[in-house]
Amino acid sequence: MRNPIRKAVDVAAVFLVAIYLAPIYWISLTSIKPMNEINSKEPVWIFEPTMEHYVQAFERFEFGKALLNSSIIVFSATFITMILALIAAYALSRMKMRGADVLSLFILSLRFMPAVVIAMPYYLMFLKAGLIDSHIGMIIVYVGYGLPFAVWIMRGFLKDLPKEIEEAARLDGLGWLSIIRRIILPLSGPGIAVTAIFTFVFNWNEYLFALYLTQANAVTLPIQIAKMVDAYTVLWGTISASVVMQLVPMVVVVFLLQRHMIRGLALGAVK
Amino acid sequence: MLRLNEGRVAFLLVLPTLIILIGLAIFPLGWAGAIAFRVENLFRPDIGKWVGLRNFKHLLAEDTFWKSIRLTLVWCLCVVSIQMVLGFLFAMMLDTRARIVGVLRTLIVIPVFISPIAMGLTWQFMFEPVAGVINYCLELLGLPGGTWHTSTDTALMAVMIADIWQWTPFVTLILLAGMQGISPEVIEAARLDRVRGWKYITNIVIPLIWPVVMVVLLLRLVDSIRVFDLIYIITRGGPGTATLVASVYDFTIFQAGRLGVMAAYGFLILIVINIVVILFLRLLYRQEKEARRVQKA
Repeated sequence: MRNPIRKAVDVAAVFLVAIYLAPIYWISLTSIKPMNEINSKEPVWIFEPTMEHYVQAFERFEFGKALLNSSIIVFSATFITMILALIAAYALSRMKMRGADVLSLFILSLRFMPAVVIAMPYYLMFLKAGLIDSHIGMIIVYVGYGLPFAVWIMRGFLKDLPKEIEEAARLDGLGWLSIIRRIILPLSGPGIAVTAIFTFVFNWNEYLFALYLTQANAVTLPIQIAKMVDAYTVLWGTISASVVMQLVPMVVVVFLLQRHMIRGLALGAVK
Repeated sequence: MLRLNEGRVAFLLVLPTLIILIGLAIFPLGWAGAIAFRVENLFRPDIGKWVGLRNFKHLLAEDTFWKSIRLTLVWCLCVVSIQMVLGFLFAMMLDTRARIVGVLRTLIVIPVFISPIAMGLTWQFMFEPVAGVINYCLELLGLPGGTWHTSTDTALMAVMIADIWQWTPFVTLILLAGMQGISPEVIEAARLDRVRGWKYITNIVIPLIWPVVMVVLLLRLVDSIRVFDLIYIITRGGPGTATLVASVYDFTIFQAGRLGVMAAYGFLILIVINIVVILFLRLLYRQEKEARRVQKA
């Protein structure tokens, strides 16, 4: 038997969520509107959809280059972060180690570091090392940026695996590396996926470091999109097409994560 | 030969991460700390020298500095409190086992995953005073349109709306995780005792998810103190200084080349964040001890 008040609340929730996401429909709609209908005073609802803004973004605003840069930098950084985080989190959560909790807290505390404070020394360091506006430089920065959070959530996931696993494996004569590779890795698949996706999302959306450390060659998507506002008279069609292309992967990510997301965020935030 | 016991192996496994974090966080932090006590100019590297506390004195004497502190304070208070309340209401709404709600839960978190740059531009487009869709909707409802991000009086409110929209779902999601952790027996017992409505919320739900509430509050506070992307993309801190919060102001100091002053301000932000984090962690720790004592008794 269902409570009628509860049912009303559920219906209200459907409407509320639909309205809540209105900005996202609006920007998507704008991205396929013909130029002269974007800035009309009365919003136009019926129109001939066009892909011209998407084409424009690639042809006039080097969207393709930024997309490639973002992909190279973010995928590489996420991959490196995950390898480091997995190994560190394994040691911190499943091995007998003095000071493991203090060390974990120290790593987590770096998540609270305001980017403004360290971006400027990065700039000076990179200037000296010749890494300004380079892919390698950005990959290094994003590894440091994502690592604290990745270690922390990965540690939460690994802690939840039953303790007896390693003992059995060790009795069978397996070494540390083979225990990680043959036993822990397969068992913590979902945890690894969630951690990797979160790391990917943070890097994909990051703006401040890229603003300091890129100029032309290694410009990432958020920077390139922001540049579109500065450079010419504001072309909302092209901007909205770029915004949509930048956010679509994130919407896909949300659906991939689904119920793991709550657990992932809760682990990162709560444990 | 060095014998590899478990502790040593574990330390070796953490070592790469530690080295990287020391190189990419602690070392630059130390460098910024040093620069805070020097005059350094981005455009004239030849004039660097130690000046003690002069950068801090400069800052404290600036009106714009105090304005940025006030703005950041107002920002944190408004944005975080509204996000907590709305986030809690949404979480209550979505805390059921109905099928459709599972889909809603997935949909509502989409804003959290979108870059503040993309969302900032979207809001800027919707806020446009003449051709923007928000003013159009207000007119449909017979309300006067606003000037939003384009005027000094309303700019702060406009960027607040954008931020509240983006991060309320984050609060919802984490509170929801907490609510779903409440054991069914407790809920059943409350139902049998006819604890309902407001009383159910204040006497059962809130005390049980209190640690989770504190953690989200901490995360939101820290992120609000250092907010940058969203405000920078919508207003660049303007019009005038209407939305010049701490991080945005600090960035404009960098652009002006005054690295010493910039580092000094960055350090003040860091100290404030540290104080907030330590206060919260102590509070949480004390509560946990209290809870354990109550459980024992």
